[in-house]
Parts: sequence; structure tokens; C-alpha cells
Amino acid sequence: MCLVDMDIGLRNLDILMGLENRVVYNLVDVVEERCKLRQALVKDKRMPNLSLLPAAQTRDKTAVNADQMKKLCEELKSMFDFVLVDSPAGIESGFQNAIAGAEEAIVITTPEMSAVRDADRIIGLLEAQKDQITQYRLVLNRLRPKMVANSDMMGVEDVLEILSVKLLGVVPEDEEIIISTNKGEPVSGTDNTRSGLAFRNIARRLRGEEVPFMDLDVKNDTWVTRIVNFFNPVRV
Amino acid sequence: MQILDWLFKVPTGPAPGTAAVTAKDRMRNMLTHDRLELPAGKLEVLEEELTAVVARYFDLEPDTTRFDLKQIDRKAALIANFQLVRSKC
Ligand SMILES: Nc1ncnc2c1ncn2[C@@H]1O[C@H](COP(=O)(O)OP(=O)(O)O)[C@@H](O)[C@H]1O
Ligand SMILES: [Mg+2]
Repeated sequence: MCLVDMDIGLRNLDILMGLENRVVYNLVDVVEERCKLRQALVKDKRMPNLSLLPAAQTRDKTAVNADQMKKLCEELKSMFDFVLVDSPAGIESGFQNAIAGAEEAIVITTPEMSAVRDADRIIGLLEAQKDQITQYRLVLNRLRPKMVANSDMMGVEDVLEILSVKLLGVVPEDEEIIISTNKGEPVSGTDNTRSGLAFRNIARRLRGEEVPFMDLDVKNDTWVTRIVNFFNPVRV
Repeated sequence: MQILDWLFKVPTGPAPGTAAVTAKDRMRNMLTHDRLELPAGKLEVLEEELTAVVARYFDLEPDTTRFDLKQIDRKAALIANFQLVRSKC
């Protein structure tokens, strides 16, 4: 599996994965043929099957175009089972480049109004590329079950209904994420964290497994769910 | 006695007027306009014009006309409801 950091100029996946000291070449070097693709790939410390193609730090988004990205993705697809491209924020060229070679998309948003509106815009753009991007699913990040239960915040069902989109996963707000990024160890590899479990469930669903979702929404606040949630609050 | 409060509070859906419900209503409205690229206020103008047209043909029950923009699978539907008294023709 390969992870591509498409946020050119604002490189960050190398830090989150604790690989910042191993980066030699980057995506722009590959596109401009200063190195071979294999030379730019950085192997993960823990998982030998995981590689990172880092973004350039000193260039900007205009350094690559959609055709170059498409070609790069084709090459990566022939080398890996999964190629995951991390898109920069926004709907401009950075986003268009990131989806140039994509067959599917994962839309990540938080349950806040401005983020949901942005996600809706992104979904509109993905819908317009239906021939190329055959499916997209939503990850709802930074959910705060307590605030949802108090009706202080939209819940999973609310956001899904508003966006009319399929759900891939729910990641709760979790301080462990900051701790793990500080250590350079992705939270998905940690035991006993709610967010780690959430990410592993997302990975399993991407592989086609059926992993049940936990209903954190108030709508499903019944005696039975209260008792179940009380004893088993960590299914996401 | 927080535990007892929690246990004996009858579970209900989100109440109207809560932040969650307000956010959802605002979101729905906003996204309908976004998706159609409909400027604010235009719907009200359409409402007036349509009502004027229908009123040429029918006497309308006063204050009953309703316009709703509904979302059905990301597609918008305009639902207009006129209560008619009798034909003017
Ligand atoms: N579920 C979460 N719980 C707590 N903090 C989070 C969570 N998700 C993201 N964050 C924080 O927000 C920061 C930015 O998140 P990131 O996913 O990098 O955003 P972007 O959308 O800009 O790529 C992270 O570095 C982390 O500190
Ligand atoms: Mg990012």
C-alpha cells in the first residue's frame, strides 16, 4: 500500500508517520525526473508493506499538473494494491490534481456546519466526475458523542442525511491522536484507543469487510442502547 | 444523583431549538441554495410571481400558500401548495 502526500508545499504526512528523517526525494522530483519513483518512496518503520511518497516542501501546487498525476498514479497502481492520495484542502488545482488518477474517494469532514458545507461542495465536484470516480464515502471525524447526546452538535445520522452520502467510518475526538502524532506513531497502530480502533475499522471496510457501526446518535437513545453503550462504549 | 437522573430520564429525540436541530435546519436550507446556486431572496421573488399567476385563475385562500424546497437524494424539488377557493374563469 502506498500513501501519496499531495499537499505540495505543506508536507506533513512524513511527520505524522515519524519518517521525516528518511525523506530524500519527493513527488515533484519524480514528476520532473530527477529520480526514479522507487527512490522517492519511503518505507514505513513498522509496516514493510506501507510506503510514503512525500510531498515537496519548497515548491507549490503548480509544480505538477493533472496529466502528470494521472501518469504517476498509473505507475503506483501497478506496484501496489492500494494507493491512497491525501488531498490538500480547497477545491482548486491541488484538489483537481489529487483526484486526477483516483477511482474512488473518501470525503473526510467534521460535524461542524462550515466543514459539512465544504464537504458538500467536494461531493458536488466528485459527482461531476462520476465516470472516473465510481464511488465516494464519508468519514466523519472528531465526533463528540457526549455533545451529540446533549443535542449540542449534529450527529452521524444528521450529517449523512444532509449530505446523502454513504458512511465509511466515524472517528471520535481523541487526545490520543495528538499524542501519537507527537511520537510519530500513527494512532491506528495503538491498542486501547477509540480513534485507533475507528481507523482500523475504516481500513477493514475499505478492504470490503462488513464491520458494524456503533450508533452514537440520540435518535437511537433507548434503554437497550444506553445499557449496551454503558458497558461497551468503544465501537466506532 | 447524576446517575439516577441519567437512568430515569426518558430517552427522547433531539428537542427543537437545540443547537443540533438548529444546525441541521440551517444546513439543509443553506445546502439547497448552494447546490442550486440560488442567490438568497430569489425564491421569495419566484413565490410572489407564481402566486400572482395562480391568482389570475383562482381565488386563493388567504395566507395558505406554501413553498418548500426539498432535497431528494441531493436533487432539489420545489413543492408549491395553493389552497383554491374557486375558479375565476
Ligand atoms: N479525531 C481527532 N481527535 C483529536 N484531534 C484531531 C482529530 N483529527 C484531527 N485532529 C487534530 O487536527 C489536526 C489536523 O488534522 P488533519 O487531519 O491533519 O487536518 P487536514 O484536514 O488539514 O488534513 C491534527 O494534527 C490533530 O491534531
Ligand atoms: Mg491534510
